[in-house]
Amino acid sequence: MSLNITDRRRINGPQRSVEPVYTTTSPVDAFAAGGRMDGRALDQVRPIFIKTGPLDAQSLSAAAPSGSAYYEQGKIRVSCAVYGPRQGRKSSNNARMGTFDCDFKYAPFSCSWKRSHVKTSDEKEIALMLEQAVAPAIRLDAYPKASVDAFVTVIESDGKAATIAAAINCISAALADAGIELYDSVAACSMSLHSEQWVSDCSQIEENASSCSLLVARMPSADEVTYLLQHGKTTPEQTQQAIQTCANDCTRVYAVICRYLQATLE
Amino acid sequence: MVETGQAAAAVAMQTFERIHPVEFQRRFLGQNTRHTGREFNQFRALKVIKGAISTAQGSATVRLGNTTVVCGIKAEVCEPDVKRPTAGYLTTNVELSPMCSARFRAGAPSDEAQVASEHIYRLSMHLLDLTSLCIESGKAAWSLSADIVCLKHDGNVVDAAVIALVAAIEDLRLPRAEFDSATGVVSADKEALGHVDVKKRLFPATFVLVDDLCVVADADDAEEQMATASLLVVMDGEGKLVNLWKRGAGVISREAVEQCVERARERMSEIAKVLD
Repeated sequence: MSLNITDRRRINGPQRSVEPVYTTTSPVDAFAAGGRMDGRALDQVRPIFIKTGPLDAQSLSAAAPSGSAYYEQGKIRVSCAVYGPRQGRKSSNNARMGTFDCDFKYAPFSCSWKRSHVKTSDEKEIALMLEQAVAPAIRLDAYPKASVDAFVTVIESDGKAATIAAAINCISAALADAGIELYDSVAACSMSLHSEQWVSDCSQIEENASSCSLLVARMPSADEVTYLLQHGKTTPEQTQQAIQTCANDCTRVYAVICRYLQATLE
Repeated sequence: MVETGQAAAAVAMQTFERIHPVEFQRRFLGQNTRHTGREFNQFRALKVIKGAISTAQGSATVRLGNTTVVCGIKAEVCEPDVKRPTAGYLTTNVELSPMCSARFRAGAPSDEAQVASEHIYRLSMHLLDLTSLCIESGKAAWSLSADIVCLKHDGNVVDAAVIALVAAIEDLRLPRAEFDSATGVVSADKEALGHVDVKKRLFPATFVLVDDLCVVADADDAEEQMATASLLVVMDGEGKLVNLWKRGAGVISREAVEQCVERARERMSEIAKVLD
């Protein structure tokens, strides 16, 4: 249900609108057939498509971003633009270091329900997560007093944790496209626990059926974890095992990103 | 040696464009040509992809040269307005985020986005018969919210947005809905999807007066930056004028307006070919 708050700056619909009750939706069990609905292996990530520079200008427009990337993983579609290094807007406390800021937005039609135009608290939380996951890879000491800004828009989502992972991968590709100095590219992957078994890169239906989710972002060549988030109940051993599997998946995603970036240089 | 000479010339040209963008454009316009090599009345390549987004009930992606917009329609159920008990809602909003151009800030929509939203909302009245969204008179109707997200702003976003809206409405599939008067609940059957009748297709064409000098069709971002006036012509499928909107202080002669309308009529069939 969406309660539409009257927004003077936008075209407003009716005060209150709801999703109809769908009669034909039988509750889907994502793992009913013993395997996954799309036939993937348990530790298999959905096919990835990356394109860098779709938003860069052909001519030298000052308003065009320094780098951009479009990222698809299964049904997930994420677009990201990176600006900078440019003059920092806020006076930084630590002028010897640059700053990295991230903005995250779901398009109103990107989820199964209608999203609000106004930024919600979960979008702010995700923006902060992205910042913390990607910032360790950037040589911010190389950009004193400058800021690097990443703007991410989700066009279509399928699984919350997987969408955040996709956003991290998309920013990594866009940063490389912008020519920002990096220690390494950050690659991210998510998992969900379903009846004592970890399942990689879950879609929304699979995620709904699971009891616990885990997100790992890491820099594979340095073998350093930059972000780790677990929701739900597990034993420490299960978590250990999941981090290991997730790390392997990250390396695979990383290989895809690197192979693409290398191909763009040739 | 020749190659390095060409490369140096290209760098010199890029530097010139960066430092003196206005003078750069004038050199081209003075010789009756555009910096991209297009004719004055030539539009950029148009590409429309319908229905790529599964989370939206209707969607379309439109590329007009480099300008890229995505329109997604979410359908929900609401109580109709008391004054119009048989009409549903169609709301249109244009999002110009900082992702599409450095000119926009995060947060509340910019003036440009608000103006575009408002104008496209008024145009959308011609597109649909809102009574076709009625489920039960006075009780329930569909509320469609069409959001047009700009991914890349390289000029002429309004044309791209209108085309995306038309394509997304054509792609829209609504489930068959029934209103239960006992419970007041609307139930919908996802298996039985139906199109909504489009009353009138809209075909936009924008012309821009660059530097008070010449009228060009489908300006890109660089040309739009030095525009003094713009003229939007919207046609329906039969070659009738739906909307004519001249903005800016620059003077466009009556003959030029007539030429623009004539060109917009040709443009109509160009767009129709891509939409079908």
